[in-house]
Amino acid sequence: MAIKSVKEVNRKEYYIFSPFLRIFHWIMASQIVILFATGLLITKPMDVAVVEPVFSITSMDLVRDIHFTSAFILCASLILRIYGFIINKGDRLFPRVWEGHFYEETVDVALHYMLLRGHHASFLRNPLARGSYAALYVLLAIEILTGFAMYFMTNPSSTGGMLFGWVNVLVGSEMMSHYIHHYVAWFIILFAIGHLYMVIRAEFMEGESEISSMFSGKKILAHTPKDANELD
Amino acid sequence: MEKRESLWEAYLRRGFSRRSFLKGCVALTSLMGFGTDMFSKVVEAAETKPLPVVIWIHGHECTGCDESFIRSGAPLASDVVLSSIALEYDHLLSAACGAPFEAHLDETIAKYNGQYILAVEGAVATRDSGVYCMSGGHTFTHLLAKAAKGAAAIIAYGSCSAYGGIQAAKPNPTGSAGIEHFVGGKPIVKVPGCPPIPEVMTGVVMHVALFGTIPPVDGDGRPKQFYGNRIHDTCYRRPFFDAGMFAETFDDQGAKAGWCLYKLGCRGPETYNSCGNLRWWQGMSYPIQSGAPCIGCSNSNFWDEDPFTTRLPKYGKLGDADKIGIGLGVATAAGVVGHAVASIVQRNSRENLIDEEHHD
Repeated sequence: MAIKSVKEVNRKEYYIFSPFLRIFHWIMASQIVILFATGLLITKPMDVAVVEPVFSITSMDLVRDIHFTSAFILCASLILRIYGFIINKGDRLFPRVWEGHFYEETVDVALHYMLLRGHHASFLRNPLARGSYAALYVLLAIEILTGFAMYFMTNPSSTGGMLFGWVNVLVGSEMMSHYIHHYVAWFIILFAIGHLYMVIRAEFMEGESEISSMFSGKKILAHTPKDANELD
Repeated sequence: MEKRESLWEAYLRRGFSRRSFLKGCVALTSLMGFGTDMFSKVVEAAETKPLPVVIWIHGHECTGCDESFIRSGAPLASDVVLSSIALEYDHLLSAACGAPFEAHLDETIAKYNGQYILAVEGAVATRDSGVYCMSGGHTFTHLLAKAAKGAAAIIAYGSCSAYGGIQAAKPNPTGSAGIEHFVGGKPIVKVPGCPPIPEVMTGVVMHVALFGTIPPVDGDGRPKQFYGNRIHDTCYRRPFFDAGMFAETFDDQGAKAGWCLYKLGCRGPETYNSCGNLRWWQGMSYPIQSGAPCIGCSNSNFWDEDPFTTRLPKYGKLGDADKIGIGLGVATAAGVVGHAVASIVQRNSRENLIDEEHHD
């Protein structure tokens, strides 16, 4: 007689996330937390509340340095990610929007998440999720462009100033770059809340190693996914 | 004025010594933002170049730039106007008026076609065919197009002529805009500021006068020697910023002690100007030094980036972006909790259904 909490399930293991992608993911996650926290501190520095300059314990300089270092690490890992995308056939950067079935599948998943449907087809790469990652990349690109536009314009004649200075002109003024940089940061945090919830939910509802796949690179599925042919 | 004299000839005519001429050239070299290696070129230009003809027109503006210009200390504005340039036409400084004055403008444009410098203060009013800014019976747009046609170079003085100015603030009823797209593609150097620093104004016109070309400009058309640095990066209060020492209100300990005004909305970190190094009134002071946060008056859109006393704009009762962001974050978190509960309910009801089916 089998124990009630032990169940025999037939599962298949799919290896989909290369180390490039996984390392990038965790660097990005940690750097976004650091960047967001230091970014808020740069916009609104802590109150000093000291009467003598020598006793000041806050250091804007340090906070800014952490922010900049963190930004460079994130950009470096992004380059690594793109390199991985080029050399690994299985890595994806953007959803395949040119393939018609992407849209039907996205609608199917969205209807399930709106609780209008009981379930959705099994996927290795959830099309709705991948759409949201594409949106995240766009947000990141805006942050990188406006960020470097502000950072390098300390010396407008420098190479960096030449490469990114046009962003300030494009958005109207450098202050506008500050605003956009700040507002988009909030949208990234809203994405992070949603993302965190959705992976926990997937793990909880389906139990198909959604969370651990970002460590091991493998998804262990009970159903045969619809996009099983897209492994490489 | 048939044969135009050079600066050196003007000095000779007045009986000044060679020595005082060279001293004047040293002063010119430094105020144009050059190193001493450019000194010989400045002397050469001052000896040979005839004094340039300048036509100075005023559009949609307050003439505050002229108020700044006439206070230039090195060189004195009077020296520039009377000795260093041949100011043929100026709406504000000319004694003449009426039809003869307007006729003189046409004569000057015809006589020095392709040689004169056009200095423009003020924006163009574009809405309703430009009727919101008229002079001499014509729209300013008409005057600008006429004067720009034969100009060798154009200097746009002030934030109005560079970017549209305060009257271009939302909703911009007169359609005020910078002159850039109304001069038929002529080379233009922007000298923004509300007003620009006096010595920057005289420095730029002297550069164009002596070398016949516009000074090296950045991507936005501003002379690099005066607009190449942020006020923030040249500010004497910068160490307080780096140390995290800020004035929180206009009357607190930090404000009295002269700490950084960043938290009071200072636009120094976004503003390119020479306030930090040249300062105003021969280096006496500048807004931040007097305890007022920079409002970024030489920026392209500063008039719509209010309030000037905070870093982030506020949206009525909703507050600023951080407050709204926290609100949205809490709402999203509440949303996912609600969704999680609903998901579990949905799954349980589905499983019950499946169980019942098994029973049947």
